[in-house]
Amino acid sequence: MKTKKLQLVLMAILIAIPTLIFAQAELTGLQIIVNVYNRETGNDMQGDLTMSLINSRSAQRVREIKQFIKDFSGMEKKIMFFVSPADVRNTSFMNWSYDEAGKDDDQWIYLPALKKVKRISSDSKSDYFMGSDFTYDDLGDRHPTVDTHKILREEMVDGESCYVVESTPKDEEYMYSRTVSWIIKDKWIGLKKEFYDEDEELLKTLTVKKHEKISGYWTILSSEMHNVQKDHTTKMQLTNVKLDTGISAAKFTERMMKRGL
Amino acid sequence: MEKLLNRFLKKPWLVLVVFLIMTVGFFKVMKSNSRMETDLDKYMPQHHPAFVFSNQAEEWFNIKDGIIIAIENQEGIFNSGTIQKVKDLTKALQKMKEINKDDVTSLYTADNIIGSEDGMDVRAFFKNTPKTDEEMELLRTNVRNNEMIFGRLVSNEETVTVIIAEIEDDVFSQEFYKQILELGESFNGPETIHVAGRPIVEGTMALLGPADMKRMVPIVLIVIILVLLTVLRSFKSTFFTLLVVMFSTVWTFGLMAAVGIPIYAVSTMIPVMLIAIGVADGIHLYSHLHLYMNKNPHAAKKDAMLDMIKGMWKPVVMTSVTTAVGFISLLTSQVYPIKYFGIFTAFGVMMAMVFSLVLIPAGVMVFGLPKWKKQKSDNGGNKASFATAFSAKIVKYKYATIILTAVIVFISIAGIGKVWINSSFLEKFEADSDIVLTDQFINENFGGTSTLNVIFDSQDNGAFKNPAVLTAIDKMQYDVEGTLQVVGNSFALSDYLKRMNKVMHADDEAYNVIPESQELIAQYLLLYEMSGDPENLWKVVDYDYKKANLTFQLKSDNSKAINSAIEVIERHVPELNKLNVDLKYAGSGYKGLVFTDLILQGQIASLVMSLIIVIILLSLMFKNFMAGLIGSVPIIITSIISFGVMGLLNIPLSTTTALLSSIAIGIGIDYAVHFLERYKIYAAETGDKILTSRHTMQHSGRAIVFNAIVVIAGFLVLLFSVFPPNRALGALVSLNMFTSFLGTVTIMYLLLFVSNIYFKKR
Repeated sequence: MKTKKLQLVLMAILIAIPTLIFAQAELTGLQIIVNVYNRETGNDMQGDLTMSLINSRSAQRVREIKQFIKDFSGMEKKIMFFVSPADVRNTSFMNWSYDEAGKDDDQWIYLPALKKVKRISSDSKSDYFMGSDFTYDDLGDRHPTVDTHKILREEMVDGESCYVVESTPKDEEYMYSRTVSWIIKDKWIGLKKEFYDEDEELLKTLTVKKHEKISGYWTILSSEMHNVQKDHTTKMQLTNVKLDTGISAAKFTERMMKRGL
Repeated sequence: MEKLLNRFLKKPWLVLVVFLIMTVGFFKVMKSNSRMETDLDKYMPQHHPAFVFSNQAEEWFNIKDGIIIAIENQEGIFNSGTIQKVKDLTKALQKMKEINKDDVTSLYTADNIIGSEDGMDVRAFFKNTPKTDEEMELLRTNVRNNEMIFGRLVSNEETVTVIIAEIEDDVFSQEFYKQILELGESFNGPETIHVAGRPIVEGTMALLGPADMKRMVPIVLIVIILVLLTVLRSFKSTFFTLLVVMFSTVWTFGLMAAVGIPIYAVSTMIPVMLIAIGVADGIHLYSHLHLYMNKNPHAAKKDAMLDMIKGMWKPVVMTSVTTAVGFISLLTSQVYPIKYFGIFTAFGVMMAMVFSLVLIPAGVMVFGLPKWKKQKSDNGGNKASFATAFSAKIVKYKYATIILTAVIVFISIAGIGKVWINSSFLEKFEADSDIVLTDQFINENFGGTSTLNVIFDSQDNGAFKNPAVLTAIDKMQYDVEGTLQVVGNSFALSDYLKRMNKVMHADDEAYNVIPESQELIAQYLLLYEMSGDPENLWKVVDYDYKKANLTFQLKSDNSKAINSAIEVIERHVPELNKLNVDLKYAGSGYKGLVFTDLILQGQIASLVMSLIIVIILLSLMFKNFMAGLIGSVPIIITSIISFGVMGLLNIPLSTTTALLSSIAIGIGIDYAVHFLERYKIYAAETGDKILTSRHTMQHSGRAIVFNAIVVIAGFLVLLFSVFPPNRALGALVSLNMFTSFLGTVTIMYLLLFVSNIYFKKR
């Protein structure tokens, strides 16, 4: 789902060379994360997203969203339409995120009650996405070079053989002091991830509940993010997933936002 | 009883040593286990429905008391130095382990919802301190244009900005209190840093309370020693009387520590109480001994002790029991600190009784009889003639006495109507103390340091997305803020929606209203969740939009202020009920109000109960119901005058002054007991009413006057307290002692004389 930049291709080659030479050599932490980053996920995707937000008193809010995502050159475009709750039906949200480092996403929202498309912006990628426990950054793909990676160990999780990789951001101001990921060997898909806050304390745990091969791509269908400090949980479930159907580029426009479902 | 006491006389050394060892034991327990309770929530009955609800609401909406740190710069806060301080101080607070990072609100952490031609931004006001004039000017403009911030976090004159750090009830400690004050101090200059808020008020009280007690106890001791030396005219007697009260104080606090009950602010008064009350027994015992030795100068000390115990154990027990009953009646209070105060003071009084009856005789047995200093001149004759004349005059001018009493009672009853209850914690401090001045300063510049939370509740899902409901709440906010000077600000879901509606319409003031449709409201809220910090929303509404929280900021935490706000709020209840919405109140200010109501109820209950018990006890002691009734007349009058004076002098009932009536009854009744006891004895001896009156007035008069002087002197020491309510209590108890004393020798004596009790059967 990422347009590879030349730089990354070069890097992949550089990484591949020693791998080819010393076929027996162990993978480095960076190589594993690069493999995850480069995993093929198709050029476009559509599906029904059910987002359940559960607070510490077990109160639950459920949102049903229809989403379309497509890769463009240098950017990824995403459009989402709310199906329920009824009072926000047809509210739509469009996000263009750029590969260029440091460039903020462009975001639009269409409020049917106001009949207007509005630009919105938020300060940073560390903002939480729609009141969930996912930040924009958690949802996107983080470039492997902004962190330093270290293999901690290998272990079995849910019958899958995993690498356990610790990633520490080079930017000390980043919202997490470090993350630990469980990456399934060969599939290059994360099964679990722990996020540690600025004080080195466990903040959130991401668990992938279900992943399947759809149209030849490993796709995450169900995941759960638990903020252990606030005891708040977000469940994301994807159904009716279709990949590489050739969604028209015209889908990602203000006009389509207004048209609704 | 008498036999038991006489048995103790045989082994005085053993008695002294055993009691000394036990006292050392209690002292050790006290030293190691005593704990001062500083969390004011612990003072309130947790099972009471109002508290249960409030605590629940506090959890739903994360309502906490905030520490307010104000940064003042006379030159204006919009300069890089002051703004940098806001950031640094915010970060320093966020790093403290007692404070949740998300619970610190300042210009640095606040969300700025701003509108533009093509959309809406939720941004921080600043991340890095603005360096250029243009950047600083932009920050100023952003603050001015945001009514969610201007006047709330930055004062209208732009000379003060506040940082609010909300903390949990249970994290507060002396250490944390000191750290906060030191942190504030370290940021002083050129800006002035002010620290206020309820946690700070509580912390200061927790610090000043024990300090006040430490200061008070030596003064009381010195005053009592002086009074005792004057009255008893013997060092030995003074020493043992003091020993009695010190032992009883140590035992009381030792017991408190042993059963794990913390020292509450009101408990700090116990030593003063016990010292002032406990010496009375000693005075009576030594005066009796003095009289006996005058009559039998060569009597052996053992005989003197036997006579003292025989003659005095009864009145000592009677007065101690009635005093204890007065304190025990505080058990009817639902307020635990007052209950404990009652139980432990009663325990202390009873212990003082035991020590007086056991240690004083043992002391005489071991160390010999006290040597009395000679009185300068024997004016006993004068006293006798004065007493005779006084008793005759009272009878002669009986109508004048009755009318004067009636007038005083009547004026007092008029005053009672003006008595009000004050739940304010701040008003426990001196009007010119730092803490009160800081509070005033913040109240002048901002909405207010005290809060009242209104919790709305509806059965309908999404009720608080309904424009009709939100408009009704907005109307209430407008009405309360507009009507009442004391309400500075309010904050609710409606404020978010109005702000968003305005910025989504290019900052058009005409849209600073609640949106018209539920869809638009829902969509704005979704928008806010996408671009802002949704955590903030859960402070004003719940997940299902079935409950909402409206916060009023008040400039005073006293009961009058909160009640006036509730009165205006209640006018809007019918309209909300029509929309299927109920409301209740929550927050520490409201709990304080409910608390004071409970104090008042407890007051009336304990007053009535102690009166009934005292009448029954008197009737039993003197085997005459009429005597019981007559004996209670002085304390009834005393109570009426006491409340009347409070009303007329505008002294409010508070957790401290609420103890008044019980103390007044418990101690004041002693005079009546002594008087009745003497009257009964002389009536039996002489059978002549005039003679009985004279003798009683002459002999009982001396003891009563001494007793009153000691108690009044002891309580007047409370005038040196740093807490105004403690001073009021000291003055009022002294007044009460004086009126009980006066009532006993005038109106009660008159009633006794007229009623012919103890003479009927002859």
